[in-house]
Amino acid sequence: MPIILENVSFSYSKKTPLETSALREINLRIEKGEFVGILGEKGAGKSTLTKLFNGMFKPETGIVRVDGLDPSSREAKRKVGMVFQQAADQLFCKTVYEEIAFGPLNFGYSKKETEQRVYEAIEAVSLDQTELSRDPFSLSGGEMQRVALASALALRPDYLVLDEPITGLDPIGKKDILKTLNRIKEKGTAVITVTHNLKGFFPLLEKIVLLREGRIAFQGSRESYLKKGFEPLPPIASMMKELRARGLPVNLTVFTVEDALEEIMRLKSILE
Amino acid sequence: MIRLEKVSYSYPDGTPALKNLNLVIKKGEFIGVIGRNGSGKSTLALQLSGLLKPQAGKVMIRGMDTRDPSKLPEIRKFVGIVFQNPDTQFVGRTVEEDLAFGPENLCFSPMEIRKCVDMALAETGLEKYRHRSPKTLSGGQGQCVALAGVLAMRPECLIFDEVTSMLDPESGIAVLKTIKKLHRKGKTIVYITHNLEELHDADRIIVMEKGKIMLEGEPESVFSDISLETLGLDLPSLIELAENLKTHGVIIPWEKTASPQSFAEEICQLFLKT
Repeated sequence: MPIILENVSFSYSKKTPLETSALREINLRIEKGEFVGILGEKGAGKSTLTKLFNGMFKPETGIVRVDGLDPSSREAKRKVGMVFQQAADQLFCKTVYEEIAFGPLNFGYSKKETEQRVYEAIEAVSLDQTELSRDPFSLSGGEMQRVALASALALRPDYLVLDEPITGLDPIGKKDILKTLNRIKEKGTAVITVTHNLKGFFPLLEKIVLLREGRIAFQGSRESYLKKGFEPLPPIASMMKELRARGLPVNLTVFTVEDALEEIMRLKSILE
Repeated sequence: MIRLEKVSYSYPDGTPALKNLNLVIKKGEFIGVIGRNGSGKSTLALQLSGLLKPQAGKVMIRGMDTRDPSKLPEIRKFVGIVFQNPDTQFVGRTVEEDLAFGPENLCFSPMEIRKCVDMALAETGLEKYRHRSPKTLSGGQGQCVALAGVLAMRPECLIFDEVTSMLDPESGIAVLKTIKKLHRKGKTIVYITHNLEELHDADRIIVMEKGKIMLEGEPESVFSDISLETLGLDLPSLIELAENLKTHGVIIPWEKTASPQSFAEEICQLFLKT
């Protein structure tokens, strides 16, 4: 069962002079186990879209269903985990343990079951057990992000929705989180992320949803996104597009340094 | 104009942040500071602006010792600092009020304050937002307000601590463009970032690791240093590609690695010529 959006529209400040249309005629389907990137310029409606997945916003028209359920139902909320850009904003407990245990306890799981889930969650995000007694606000940015992620994972969600999860982290912190997300995906959870960081995320994305002014401009595989020349692109893919625009016969689906090296050397041997 | 001599600093919980650091910043320089989280970059920024005092060694800002409390007002006028999250830096109800706060605190006359605020608004292109509440602006505009708030105090040296890391790429580029414009007008800039692409045309780059300067030099030489990767830093993809091509005999000059366009142009010239 997937997340389905059918003909969804959403406006802010409805029926006031400040009414602004954020999303229009969105049709979308996200399956379990997919790694989906939501791309687009600022103001395109990316964050608004994620808030429809867990019932935080209700669509003005159209339907949102999470495995056939209303997204604001309790069961659907358990299925959809959310992690926002600034992890610090979603932490509020005195210790890391309490923080991660909050969700399961709130959903009525026993102390024993909760404990098991907390340990499972910290293992998934590679947090050390010694961190459990720490004050979440004494952690570094990367560690806080990990705790926020673990809190979402403790409910064993089927869909993990993230909004710019690696901004503000250093390159090592970024790589760690990316690896963790890929592992989560491999275990069958859908990972859906809003991001501007194409260099980091592009290798992981299987499906891309491109929003432009509140509408879906593209939805499909990474390969077809590259072939059709959509933007934004990671720097290497952008360079390939520039080469193609100058008449050179390059493969537009190249986006890593290694592949670009091979492609350029191939080009050199053809042209010489 | 700013000189650090054997500066050491540890935080109250005992974490050492800077160790015996020496650094000279010349007037009009654009210095990029990189390094992983916890390497001491932000502590360095706070030392350069006099917001932290060294526990050993000294920081001299245009001949003034930051440990001398009587010099602090003068130092505040000379060095300004902008942080990562604009929302935590607003004090005024409107953009205008926010910008007036600094010069007011420095006891400028009302006429001077007006002049400073107008100038700061013009330099950052914020004139049309002067009566708006800073909280209602977008992230990029908010960061410009934070920058304008510092500019209103007419500092000669500006320090930026990861000011674009929370912005979308487009807004980040706009903020950086404003900063580069200020640099061309003669301001001294210290720019801390994780995004090495932003430092392509810096005068000098400093790489911090464990409270010390590990590497220092022009962008071209620092970026081609292989130890960068072991320091947990991520080279811009185009520069990495150029380095790789070099080992295969294809030379892309440094300035051409600045953008996908210039890189592609160079490849075309190289290949289509032969």
